[in-house]
Amino acid sequence: MIKTTPLLAGALCALTMAGSSLVYAQDKPFEGVTVNVMTRPGEVIARRLAERGVEFEAMTGAKIVVNEVPFAELFQKVQTDWSTGTNSIDVGVIAAGWAVELDASGLIEDLSAYVAADPLINVDDIAPYFREVNQKIGGATKLITVDGDFQMVYYRDDVLTAAGLTAPDTWEEYLANAKAVNGQDMNGDGEPDFGSCIFKKRNAQSYFAISTVAAGAVQSGGTAEGLFFDLTTMKPKINNAAWKAAFELYKATGEFGPPDEMNQDVGDTRALVKAGRCAQTIDWGDIGPLSIADDATAIKDKMFAVMNPGWTSVLDQATGAMVACDATTCPNAINGVNHSPFGAFGGWAGVISAGSDQKVKDAAYGFLSYMNQAAQSNVDVTIGWTGYNPYRNSQLDDTKLWVDAGFSEMAAVNYLGAIKASLNNPNMSSDLRIPGAQQYSGVILDTELARYLAGEITVDEALANIETGWEEVTEDFGRESQLGLYTKSLGATNK
Amino acid sequence: MSIDSQHVLTRPGRASPVVVSRRNQFNEWLDQHSGRLFIAPAVILILLFSIFPTIASLVIAVSRVRLSADGFKFRFVGLQNFTKLFFGNDQIHFLGRFTEMSVIGWVLIIATSVWCARWLWRQWQAGFGVIGFIGRLITISALIGLAVVLAGTTLSGNQWGTLGTTMFYVVVGIAVQFGIGLGLAILCSQQIAGKNFFRVVFFIPMMITPLGVGYAFRMVADPTVGPFAPVWKWVGLGTFAWASDPWTARIFIIIGDSWQWIPFIFIVMLAALENVPRDHVEAAQVDGASASQIFREITWPAIIPVAATVLLIRSIEAFKIVDLPNIMTSGGPGIATESMTLQALFAWRSNDFGSSAAVAYLLLFLTVVLCASFFNFVVLKHIRKEQGA
Amino acid sequence: MSDTSPLRPLPMRGLAQRLFEPPSVGRMAPGTAILVYLVLAIWTAFVVFPLYWVFITSFKLPQSVSEGPFYLPFVDFQPSLHAWNDLIIKDWEDTLRAFINSVVIAVGATALAVTIGSMAAYGLARIQYKPKFGSIMVFVVVLLGSVAVTTLSGLDWKIVFAVAFALFVLLVRALSRFFIRRLGNGDILFWMISQRILPAIVVIIPVYMMFQSMGLVDTHIGLIIAYAVTNLPIVVWLMHDFFAGIPQELEESAQLDGASRLFIFWDIVLPLTRPGLAATTLLTMILCWNEYLLAVFLSTSQAQTMPILVAAMNAGDRGILWWTMCVVIVVMIVPVVLMAVLLQRFIAKGVLTGAVKG
Repeated sequence: MIKTTPLLAGALCALTMAGSSLVYAQDKPFEGVTVNVMTRPGEVIARRLAERGVEFEAMTGAKIVVNEVPFAELFQKVQTDWSTGTNSIDVGVIAAGWAVELDASGLIEDLSAYVAADPLINVDDIAPYFREVNQKIGGATKLITVDGDFQMVYYRDDVLTAAGLTAPDTWEEYLANAKAVNGQDMNGDGEPDFGSCIFKKRNAQSYFAISTVAAGAVQSGGTAEGLFFDLTTMKPKINNAAWKAAFELYKATGEFGPPDEMNQDVGDTRALVKAGRCAQTIDWGDIGPLSIADDATAIKDKMFAVMNPGWTSVLDQATGAMVACDATTCPNAINGVNHSPFGAFGGWAGVISAGSDQKVKDAAYGFLSYMNQAAQSNVDVTIGWTGYNPYRNSQLDDTKLWVDAGFSEMAAVNYLGAIKASLNNPNMSSDLRIPGAQQYSGVILDTELARYLAGEITVDEALANIETGWEEVTEDFGRESQLGLYTKSLGATNK
Repeated sequence: MSIDSQHVLTRPGRASPVVVSRRNQFNEWLDQHSGRLFIAPAVILILLFSIFPTIASLVIAVSRVRLSADGFKFRFVGLQNFTKLFFGNDQIHFLGRFTEMSVIGWVLIIATSVWCARWLWRQWQAGFGVIGFIGRLITISALIGLAVVLAGTTLSGNQWGTLGTTMFYVVVGIAVQFGIGLGLAILCSQQIAGKNFFRVVFFIPMMITPLGVGYAFRMVADPTVGPFAPVWKWVGLGTFAWASDPWTARIFIIIGDSWQWIPFIFIVMLAALENVPRDHVEAAQVDGASASQIFREITWPAIIPVAATVLLIRSIEAFKIVDLPNIMTSGGPGIATESMTLQALFAWRSNDFGSSAAVAYLLLFLTVVLCASFFNFVVLKHIRKEQGA
Repeated sequence: MSDTSPLRPLPMRGLAQRLFEPPSVGRMAPGTAILVYLVLAIWTAFVVFPLYWVFITSFKLPQSVSEGPFYLPFVDFQPSLHAWNDLIIKDWEDTLRAFINSVVIAVGATALAVTIGSMAAYGLARIQYKPKFGSIMVFVVVLLGSVAVTTLSGLDWKIVFAVAFALFVLLVRALSRFFIRRLGNGDILFWMISQRILPAIVVIIPVYMMFQSMGLVDTHIGLIIAYAVTNLPIVVWLMHDFFAGIPQELEESAQLDGASRLFIFWDIVLPLTRPGLAATTLLTMILCWNEYLLAVFLSTSQAQTMPILVAAMNAGDRGILWWTMCVVIVVMIVPVVLMAVLLQRFIAKGVLTGAVKG
């Protein structure tokens, strides 16, 4: 199916797109078309969509209406709208990971042909992980990225240097650093601050953070190896020494964190980071642009980024134990440390409803492409409040954009260097992108992790419970189909 | 008798002479069917928009639901969603963890069983009715079930699940709220200056959207930037976070819940208290009765029916508590503050509609049994006794 | 407090008497009064403080929140109107639309629920209804069956429900003489209130599907109906109590004059329960005004209400925009307080009318 239809569709679209993109400015090809976009509320993500929407309307005549729904309800809203045939929404700008579930129900449009015929999008400029893994489902491009998401570790260069420490290269070093500087005053307000701030709130985003910690211990054989399941049996790869080490380390960081860390979501830790109260933290790319905002003077040019720290021993899949890194066990290790940057959340991306009218789909693709194109995107990603993080090579190669935005040359080089190192790491790990992902990680992993953090259960119980729970979900969706989708979701390697 | 009612009483007399015959016929028709006309709109609306979804969600509770391009797909799975909660992977989450039963646990179970048996025996002696008997059996099985869960979890040193947490919110929350609400209403029903001021101020928390209350309390209770942070630090609890300890977290949620709902109990009980005939009270005061005597003998019997209604409405809402734990702690630490509705909400958010509906149906069952039992066997009995006396 | 025991030592008794025993009937002793006012003052502080915190937070800059706590504007932090500016000037269109939606929906739903609910409550307070238990069972079984058939087999719901309706009529006719047990008003009342027990979360999907097939999603009418139905039980329960408290003699004498039931209800009984009506209206209005979950699912953009704005200020990974959220909360309280003050007149008057009862 992949072979024949796109050819035909591609030819058709090539005709329309080639025509339309050339004559955008002259005769407004989408005059009278209204595209309803649904996304999260507020400045982040939504506001830039609305602003660019106005520009797009001036160019093409398509009216872009941005509907905002509270974050917690966004996915359900889009899904119900499309699945029940209400179709009041044409484009969902949602978390890339959610699209898999929509695609499994056949709700979203295949955009491969559009992309192939689009002269402006320049997909080769998009970083390989986003181009080949994140934008694609089962080999076909179904999402258009507007924001590139994966997690890195940030540290206070001034605080660590003063203590004679360096950027953490392994998670053990991270913990040692946290212990060494915890309790120091880091923002000059006379109060003791924290060695590590990592969000641990339940039913929030802590399952991303734990996966970031675990990634380097679990996955060593490249992106296609996967972080969560065995690729032959679909058995969970969770009840083993590597995840155990990650759970224990994640809990241990809490000793050097704010007292109510267990009730803090990423937004709460970000507020602390911006107030200069944290020596180290896990976060998405957002911290970079946020550190040059007006309300973050405490950390301006002091918060440095580093690729996700790794582990010196990794999981041996056969035994479930951890073995020391060498050339065979860790083919991708750097200086003996196995790193694996985790593509948490996958970033915000646009999907188009399969149920919309053809004309609307065309306009919707045009708009998403417009958002994604370097001309727009390379400006947007340097602005903190947009919430857009870099995902194009051209955004990473040139520090000028960032210095213009307010970075110092040194901070820009460091920030972009960390991102580039992460995105070009062949061992980058992918977030769970199969149907039921929300159940696997958002509910089961998250709940058991929270119970372990709260001291209700031991780490072994937690991991065993997750294994049982995951198996139930897998059985429920069908092992074979889940296995197929999981393998496919990791399909392309990161070259 | 007030001026108002005398005024309206004169109206029918004014109207009747000008009634024409056609209108008379219409009136007769109306009169004949007035019974149905009064109740029909409400019943139809509820049947249409409330019964159908209720039954549809029962179907969801025995199915696995998947989304597809042409709507929702249901696959019948029998009681799987329920057995998972009682015996399967979700047992710890829903009921709690069971290990050895402690001595106190056994004592509680045996005491409850004996009490239930005695109660049943008494009813048997008083007269047997099939429906009543079945009703009592259901009540008893629910009570013993709850006793076993409580005995096996908290009383044996284990953690309880969402069922225990929900019952905690309901029992403790309502006791606190009713006590304080009634107390404030009694104070405000005295002849005090600024009565209207207190009445309005005490009512305000009810006007705030439950989401807003959740966020407001999260702000106020924040241990680092909240208004009481210096107080915590001063008493040496600077590193203590209420949200990290199961009991303080539950208590904070009860405080927030009470802040919001005491006004409801207060305002209704105040209205009830002000409807208590003042001359009776004053006569008793002249007779030298003490305040507590007056309350017991005159006030309380007069306000019981209203108190019962308030308690019923309040308990139905209390069983559904979801916004406060969701916003203040997200059910954490661990699952310590997770109510059943929140469990249903989490399952629902992950597209696990079947489990979500199953939890909600168990909640429906629990609420109906406990509320109906409470009213049939406690409140009605009490009211009959008071009215008889 | 005032029932001091006569066994206490004399001097103490003298003091206690002076402080705690009322000087005359119906008046408070100074000691009791102090205690009463102390308790009321403490409670006032407990009630007001979170409100005060919300109010001042709406004037705080992000830094004043994250570096807090700061308590007094102008004293320990510099208030700023930035959040108010954001919500009321910059995003005035969205805010105004949500506000108008909220007003229209809350007023519409309250009017519908109170009208229909008081009628039902009056009926239940004055007229004996005796629905047959068996008919209801047949109805429930047939409905359950048809819902199950539709969802599990995928047949068209219109056909299934038409068949089900016919089946119901036939069965009720055929079986009616076996139905002896009847239900009473109390059962109907409990049935109505039990409609409120199920958490809204599980009925969202069926309600959504139903509204979608009727074209009611994202419309004012849809939310008005949904809110009216969810609040109907509360209206019926509260109004039932108020109607039950009105002496029947008034109505009986009116009936002797030849007035119809509807007339009696509308012109005699309703005005008598004005305080109850006002209180119920206020409560229903508050519940409709503040509802979130149904609002978020039954609206897309045109019918979004204010509580959605509150939730929207939780920006997830960007933290909570406390300042703007507090502005929304403050803006949402104002109309309700105005309503309460307006209706207070009726509620206060009702205290006089309540004397009828005695």
